[in-house]
Amino acid sequence: MEFRKINIWYVSSLLISLVVAAPILTVFSSFFETTGNYSLILKNTFLYDYIYNSLILLIGVLFLTFIIGVGCAYLVSFYNFPGVNFFKWSLILSFAVPAYIYAYSLTAFFENYGTAFSILKNLFGEGNYNSHIPKFDGMIGAIISISFSLFAYVYVLTRTSFHYQSQNLIELGKNLGFSKKRSFFKIILPSARPAIVAGLSLVAMETLSDFGSVSFFGISTFTTGIYNAWISFDDLTLANRLSFYLLIFILGLFVLENFSRKKAQYHSPSKGGFKSKSVINLSGYKSFLAFSFCMLVFTISFLFPVIQMLYWTILFPKHLADLDLVDLFSNTVILVILSSCLLIALAFISNYGNRVSKSKFLEALTTFSISGYAIPGIILAVAFISFISWFDNSILGQGGIKPIFIGSILGLVLVYFIRFYSLASNGIKSGYLKINYSIDESAYLLGYSKFKTFKNIHVPYLKNSILLIGILLAIEIIKELPITLIMRPFNFETFATKAYIYASQDLLEAAAAPSLFLITIASFFILITSKYILKD
Amino acid sequence: MTKNFLEIDNVTFTASAQNKVSNVSLTIENQGDIICLLGPSGIGKTTILRTIAGLVKINSGKIVLKNKLLSSKDIHVEPEDRNISMAFQDNSLFPHYNVLENIKFGAERNKKKKKGLNINEIIKFLHIDHVVDKFPHQISSGEAQRASLARSLLSNPDLLLLDEPLSNVDQSFKEEIQVKLKQILTEQKITTIIVTHDSYEAFYLGTKCGIILDQQLKQFDDPYNVYHFPNSVEVVNFLNRGILIPAKVTGENSLENADLGTITGDFIKHYPKGSEVQLLLQPEDLEHDDQSNLKLEVVDRKFRGTNFIYTLKTMSNKLIPVFVHSHHIHQHEVDEKFGIKRPINIDHIVCF
Repeated sequence: MEFRKINIWYVSSLLISLVVAAPILTVFSSFFETTGNYSLILKNTFLYDYIYNSLILLIGVLFLTFIIGVGCAYLVSFYNFPGVNFFKWSLILSFAVPAYIYAYSLTAFFENYGTAFSILKNLFGEGNYNSHIPKFDGMIGAIISISFSLFAYVYVLTRTSFHYQSQNLIELGKNLGFSKKRSFFKIILPSARPAIVAGLSLVAMETLSDFGSVSFFGISTFTTGIYNAWISFDDLTLANRLSFYLLIFILGLFVLENFSRKKAQYHSPSKGGFKSKSVINLSGYKSFLAFSFCMLVFTISFLFPVIQMLYWTILFPKHLADLDLVDLFSNTVILVILSSCLLIALAFISNYGNRVSKSKFLEALTTFSISGYAIPGIILAVAFISFISWFDNSILGQGGIKPIFIGSILGLVLVYFIRFYSLASNGIKSGYLKINYSIDESAYLLGYSKFKTFKNIHVPYLKNSILLIGILLAIEIIKELPITLIMRPFNFETFATKAYIYASQDLLEAAAAPSLFLITIASFFILITSKYILKD
Repeated sequence: MTKNFLEIDNVTFTASAQNKVSNVSLTIENQGDIICLLGPSGIGKTTILRTIAGLVKINSGKIVLKNKLLSSKDIHVEPEDRNISMAFQDNSLFPHYNVLENIKFGAERNKKKKKGLNINEIIKFLHIDHVVDKFPHQISSGEAQRASLARSLLSNPDLLLLDEPLSNVDQSFKEEIQVKLKQILTEQKITTIIVTHDSYEAFYLGTKCGIILDQQLKQFDDPYNVYHFPNSVEVVNFLNRGILIPAKVTGENSLENADLGTITGDFIKHYPKGSEVQLLLQPEDLEHDDQSNLKLEVVDRKFRGTNFIYTLKTMSNKLIPVFVHSHHIHQHEVDEKFGIKRPINIDHIVCF
């Protein structure tokens, strides 16, 4: 009966989902293609390194983000201590610091004759401090950089879950004679499990697709392997196949979690019975410990990279003066506006199409297409370039469309679209989940057409969600590195690419100014949305 | 061409494989008629309304309103083009508009017709004048339901569909609203189909009532007939207004029951003498008489305001309900004996 559901909305949604799904299908199809000799070389040499390093990185980051994210969320949700209201929003500022910029700061601070050395020298005079200063490079550096950059995913989602946790549950624990510790492990933590897992899943995907910080620290992971397969050995099929393994691994994690959860329900119905939580006032050393933990996390995750970048920007004003700020700013803004508008408009249309047609096929296709979030930006860019090349050469016969899509703003925006579609689509979907179907049906029965319902009922209702999604997209696009590096037009720079290029030339002090601007703009967006991020 | 206002011809209403009502045929002859559909929860009553509204497509039969074919296997007029309005059971108010703005959506549709329903009057009679400035999430479910009803009424549709319209409304003004609602629907000649599980509401509001059981429209008739002349054991059991006892037909107007003796009355259907039947005995069929020598044991007594319902046990362990006016001079306790007036005469005899 699928054909009876076909209308303009159905077709629009289908087309959008197919476009987004295309790179994933490319990745999947690589499984049936023949790879070059590099495949054999890789199997005998680096493949196990990639797997080992990716796993160690993943485990390290998941462990650290879990401890920091859940710990902070628990403290600010259930206790009252000095600065708690400040920490509630300030802890999400770490979103503004990309892992690669964190990596620059970490290296800059702890390297030989770095900032730590300068501080010690100023405090205590000349000395052989380098041998005493710990070095956070290699795997440890990458784990720390990525963890402090991404823990906010776990923090935000867990905190929201804790926020909506009913006081009834906690009181029930007390009635059953549970201690605070037992309540935490038996009631609070398990009931927040879906939120924690959702946060950790995002962290896992971001970690496995991270390129900036692992390449900076010289760690061979799947992502760098994919990059090498393409750049060094020109074997696109192998690059796709490595991505396929990565995708399967991530999907496997989801399936495992779902399986272990079985049919347990983790949330109470929202209507009735909800009693807001009463927070516990901490005093004495407990209050100090809670404050110290949150302050330490805030300092390490946000203040540390900001101060480090600010210090260098002030110390080397020439690099700041060399920056064409107007150009960098306008390039960043153009990308943000074009991409956000395209993403929101198409994600909105696709979601409405799914809603109107109630097609399970379309729903499944959308779910499949948004799993592309797990595909590293590099592979998306590569898949896009190879698709355009194939289309131009094989279908159009040197039709000359390559310059339109490759090395152009249009191509860059399109790849952003594929990369961030899941963010836009999920955001709008979660907004739509709050609108009961009978609202649409009421509108139809009041004489509103589907388009009029969309325009007059849905768009006004979801305008706050749209604004929020737009800002979240802006933050992601400002920070995005690998796609911008590969797809940008010649001489087209953003703050992210500028910082990366300086850092890759070992000019960390020059990377400070663009990094600082990037963090400042992203922080601004985070601050204006923090109220919504923490609420929903 | 048909003279009927609404014609539903052999339609199977399907929400899922389990939830469907098959081969329904019914007609609404005149504009302004009110039809009530009764049936247990989950039987598919709402699906019928949603299908008539055009929210669900059909695979067989046809639905015709005012001589216009709305639904068939090949034709489906979109909901917005049907001029059919529906008030949903759950809160279907637009969440980002306040109650008054929501209600005005209905009035806006009615603007072109300029037909005489006054928005303020409707708001007042539905007791929602104190919440018009509030948003849907700030009001109770009963208030939301009434606001939704107001919106539907004001749209002045060709056909109004009400899904359990008063299920969340306080008992204190439910009856008042029922009276006024019937008045408005009748005055404005708004043809209406109401889905409800409240048989009293259906019997009061409906010109006709339909009983939906076992995926079928079991009976479609006047409320009086549905109550007094149920056409199947299933309808009797659903209405739960009496019991079936075994009896033997002894003449043109009489039958015999082992516990109650001879019962007389007019059969609504002919049975040959000597037939073994199941006689429908409703609470108002038997009369209390302290002087009677037919005594049964009281096993339960329910106070229902205007009357008591006594449950009596016969010698063969059948439980029979009997109404007694609550102003009756004395009450009978459980385990006491309760006299039944003889001879027993029932106005109309329903047997199966």
